[in-house]
Amino acid sequence: MKRTVVPFGPQHPVLPEPLVLDLILEDEKVLDAIPTIGYIHRGLEMMVERVEYTEMGFVVERICGICSFMHGMGYCVSLETIMNIEIPERAAWLRLIWAEISRIQSHLLWLGLGADAFGFENLFMHCWRMREQILDIFEKTTGGRIIHSVNRIGGVKRDMSDTELAAILVQLQDLGKQFKKTANVFGTDPSIAHRLGGVGVLSMEDARAVDCVGPMARASGIATDTRLIGANYYDRIELEPVVETAGDCLARVVVRMREIDQSIDIIRQAIDKMPKGEGMPLETKPRGNPMGEVFTRLEQPRGEVLYYVKANGTKNLERFRARTPTFANIPAMIKLVKGCELADVPNIILTIDPCISCTER
Amino acid sequence: MDSASFLARVGDYHKAGWRLALINVTTVIAAPAPPHGAAAEPAAPATDAPTADAAPASQAASVFEIAWAFAKDREFETIREQITVGDAVPSISEFFGAAFLYENEIRELFGINVTGIGLDLQGQLYKTVTKVPFSHQAIKARLAATAAAAAAASAASAAAAEKKA
Amino acid sequence: MSFFSRSPWILHYDGSSCNGCDIEVLACLTPLYDVERFGVLNTGNPKHADILLVTGSVNEKNIEIIENLYRQMPDPKVVVAVGACACSGGIFARAYNIQGGIDKVVPVDVYVPGCAARPESIIDGVVQGIAALEQKRKKTA
Ligand code: SF4
Repeated sequence: MKRTVVPFGPQHPVLPEPLVLDLILEDEKVLDAIPTIGYIHRGLEMMVERVEYTEMGFVVERICGICSFMHGMGYCVSLETIMNIEIPERAAWLRLIWAEISRIQSHLLWLGLGADAFGFENLFMHCWRMREQILDIFEKTTGGRIIHSVNRIGGVKRDMSDTELAAILVQLQDLGKQFKKTANVFGTDPSIAHRLGGVGVLSMEDARAVDCVGPMARASGIATDTRLIGANYYDRIELEPVVETAGDCLARVVVRMREIDQSIDIIRQAIDKMPKGEGMPLETKPRGNPMGEVFTRLEQPRGEVLYYVKANGTKNLERFRARTPTFANIPAMIKLVKGCELADVPNIILTIDPCISCTER
Repeated sequence: MDSASFLARVGDYHKAGWRLALINVTTVIAAPAPPHGAAAEPAAPATDAPTADAAPASQAASVFEIAWAFAKDREFETIREQITVGDAVPSISEFFGAAFLYENEIRELFGINVTGIGLDLQGQLYKTVTKVPFSHQAIKARLAATAAAAAAASAASAAAAEKKA
Repeated sequence: MSFFSRSPWILHYDGSSCNGCDIEVLACLTPLYDVERFGVLNTGNPKHADILLVTGSVNEKNIEIIENLYRQMPDPKVVVAVGACACSGGIFARAYNIQGGIDKVVPVDVYVPGCAARPESIIDGVVQGIAALEQKRKKTA
């Protein structure tokens, strides 16, 4: 049979970001997919040569506008480890809370985009309407909707008052209730089940073979979650990884929906456990220049992120490397796209929750 | 580096169920001489200074440090190797299918010759303006340019201050 | 034909942005800001578009894509650069793969500042883009 090559991207209606797959088709079946990335490659890692380590955090935050907070946090945690800085307790809790709020934000964002990709514009609007409430919380507490810049090496820049925290919790729980309705649509609508169920199945063995991370791995039954390593105060939180076993597109949607509830619960626990009071210390000032190297792992909304930082005792770091979750999930995506129908390609690509600007830096 | 024993070690990680977390390369550049007035260490005795300085600097000038990082639940381990420019590195795609992205990236950004990549993208992954942006020459050129720009800026501000005065 | 000019169709292309401005552009479409009530529509097809909205700066690879998209749009057309990156390269201006703002490739009519640009300012930018579009239309008519 004749083979056709269909270029997918870089500008495609379902993709907010440029990614190119050359799809080699036989009839409607995809035989092979060859990725080309690099449309967003900025060369961000080399910026360490030009900006000092104290300022590099602001660049790192702009790896990606969706997990901006987590990138800033990862960078600061890495340098704190190198420089042996113990951050104040309240600052660590605040980071954890913000991190979980970003997770809810990111999952809502993705659920909306996913719904848009399979033709439910209404759901897209609902998810993004709820997401705006999260952005309001961010704006109130950090000053920014997307780029927050509250992380500093040694702590955080702003405090949230206890009353504010309580109000945020109420607001989030309320959001959780609203979200139940939307989640119900995702879970019970027959056309969604038809569109996503059984499509793009990644078995547990395959998931292990392609080393995927985050919700992608958890939807295939692997109970992996970097939060379980317990760093950054996650050891003080009760947390069970959200696991689904079906491994199809629908399972990946369900994992993310359940994680929204989980994050709200984590925030509740954190607000419960953190030390209360006004005017607590939020920052330990770093002294001197960093020297040494470290690998830092964090669980971002899309999965495990890994930072490698090497410092040589000068103001400029020697090497900064971020391996973002999408980078680890692209092999899985290529595996899934092979052998599927052309019409399912957008759904499969979207359910890995690709963040291309993370991948290419 | 010894390819056979390296691949055997990688194979052991694979068998034990580890996950490939990262392949990272660091271009080792000898630290530039500290600007005068800011020398951190007391000056070494004059007699052995030239040899002690020159040897590691020239050696380090052509070295890449590669780390293969593996993760399994809470554990995290790395295999590290140092290679000199021009050395070939074997691909680990046969054990970890996901390695191809890292390896293509290394070849494009660092110019390291990785042999036997599972899915060879022929240098089309990033297509950067500066070819091989993390090679020793490229980094040194950028560092020199930054230093020159800083010097020019400080000279200009000094001149401006003089004018004012 | 003023009713026509009030309802521009937008083509959004993400240059090498960090996603920040990108999702703010999308946020403009959603219920809180909802530009669609003004008749502004986001389209995926350059041949239907009046306004090219670019977020992020220009790098080696997307330079031809932006040029190509711009060429495919029918005249009169307007380009709106959203965010510090699209205006000048922003925080990444000194990174090796960034060539600068999108005015390096296509003529820009409206610059929207901010990192990330807020939805309000993006909408404002689009409204100014409409005015520019109207002027161009008059010129060609
Ligand atoms: S201007 Fe800022 S938020 Fe917008 S794309 Fe650039 S770095 Fe991201």
